[in-house]
Amino acid sequence: MNINGVLIEDTFAEAFTMRVARLVITARSPKWARAAAEKLTGFATSVIGCKCEAGIERDLAPSETPDGRPGVSVLFLTMDKESLPQQLIVRLGQTVLTCPTTACFDGLPDAPDRLAVGKALRVFGDGFQASKIIGGRRYWRIPVMEGEFLVEEMFGMQKGVGGGNFLILAEDADAALAAAEAAVDAMTGRPGVILPFPGGVVRSGSKVGSRRYKQMIATTNDAFAPTLRALVASQLPAGVNSVLEIVLDGTDAPAIAAAMRAGIRAACRPGVRAISAGNYGGKLGPHHFHLRQIVA
Amino acid sequence: MSDAVTLTLAAVPAHPLVADCIAADRFAALAEREIAALPVTHGGRPARLGDFFRVSGGRAATVRIEGDLRLVEGIGTGMAGGELVIEGGVGRDLGVGMAGGRIDVGGDAGENAGGAPPGAARGMTGGEIVIHGSAGPRPGAAARRGLIVIAGSAGPGAGRGMIAGTVVVYGAAGPGAGRFLKRGSIVVLGAVERPATFRYACTYRPPFLPLLFRYLERRYGLATPQGALAGRYARYAGDMAELGKGEILHWVSE
Repeated sequence: MNINGVLIEDTFAEAFTMRVARLVITARSPKWARAAAEKLTGFATSVIGCKCEAGIERDLAPSETPDGRPGVSVLFLTMDKESLPQQLIVRLGQTVLTCPTTACFDGLPDAPDRLAVGKALRVFGDGFQASKIIGGRRYWRIPVMEGEFLVEEMFGMQKGVGGGNFLILAEDADAALAAAEAAVDAMTGRPGVILPFPGGVVRSGSKVGSRRYKQMIATTNDAFAPTLRALVASQLPAGVNSVLEIVLDGTDAPAIAAAMRAGIRAACRPGVRAISAGNYGGKLGPHHFHLRQIVA
Repeated sequence: MSDAVTLTLAAVPAHPLVADCIAADRFAALAEREIAALPVTHGGRPARLGDFFRVSGGRAATVRIEGDLRLVEGIGTGMAGGELVIEGGVGRDLGVGMAGGRIDVGGDAGENAGGAPPGAARGMTGGEIVIHGSAGPRPGAAARRGLIVIAGSAGPGAGRGMIAGTVVVYGAAGPGAGRFLKRGSIVVLGAVERPATFRYACTYRPPFLPLLFRYLERRYGLATPQGALAGRYARYAGDMAELGKGEILHWVSE
């Protein structure tokens, strides 16, 4: 299969079930909502080293937020149920609570599993905090030097999908980057999906474990590293000299598939030889995104 | 089983009619005939609800009440769920000791709405009472939790002795609002006579108010003055003669 002369390899991306929460951060202006969201989702590229994966899902208009202010929707994922509230409490407390004018609301009110995030953060109020129940949902008012920080008591958690991906195999690094940027532009702002890596792009895709260092749980994906073509069982076609990866996390598989479709189509441009994907033979992750089915 | 129970006042009471049997959650388990047979007190004498109201429907947690109810007292007493919609005004003791559900009053309400039953230490402990007109004295007195909203003005002693909860007055609040308040919020958009035992804290934009006002508009059709929705409010902490963890939030400007 080809799109614009770019080969779509007959392979699939293998993704995992994760736990996801959606946070709605509002502020007096989009600038401050973004400032909080960017700090909150900083250093949250991969569970391998960050223990969580997070990213900005999309900007929200005042009409879309609970308090009628500009906002940002954030998705936050971990591998297990236990670590999601831990990560949220620590990160919200250090980023959103500290950021001027922000408030934070649950973006998954219908999710059956509830995390007591605001309930834990309330103790920052040192006994001066107060709660309000509005429309059946409890909010905590935490007094701070600026005035008050408002945070919802409980946040929803549901199963999500982490590790959707595709690889852009290009003739050179410039072409790979241009294609990756086009793909990210096409995928950004889609509901239910985040791209947790810097600018949405990964240059250092990894394989499980190590050939040489036992303590390493992930090392360079040598099969796709062009400088190692002559040394390892390379999977790079002739003429490919640079590879970039797009990694996607999301609330559900259809959202990931829709974003991958848009991203792959946008990445098929001059200088790109093929689109591939990362998998582990299909034995580790329950979600398989077959590239040719997705773009068909 | 019907979608809603409708009570239509057929015989206007000559004396105060205590109808504390009317509660949406109770009606959810009762047939039309059983509802009509519920006991009321008219001028101190026992009677049946059906002696005054025409009952239509049964086994529903949504109740509509039609007619001039200004002499009908105690509606929604101890209600724990469901929805009560009162088309016009209503008498005293609306929703006393209420624990949950919603009461939506189209007109005025009498004394002690959402307050405590005689001799009880606590008023309402949950639920919502929205009065589209004005309220008599002591709305929300001794409330432990819950929300009382008054679109007009409130009589003296709004939120008197409140333990927690929220009273919102779109108009003016009479003297003694919040006296003996332990916790909880009294939000006043109009004039308010604060007890001397409240202390000024600051003027700011309470972030929960836009959330609350938007909810009230969406759920009850209550329009908030544009400047008040996200406006600046003076915060007075009190009652310092009590715990002092309550507040009067008084709208001052956009």
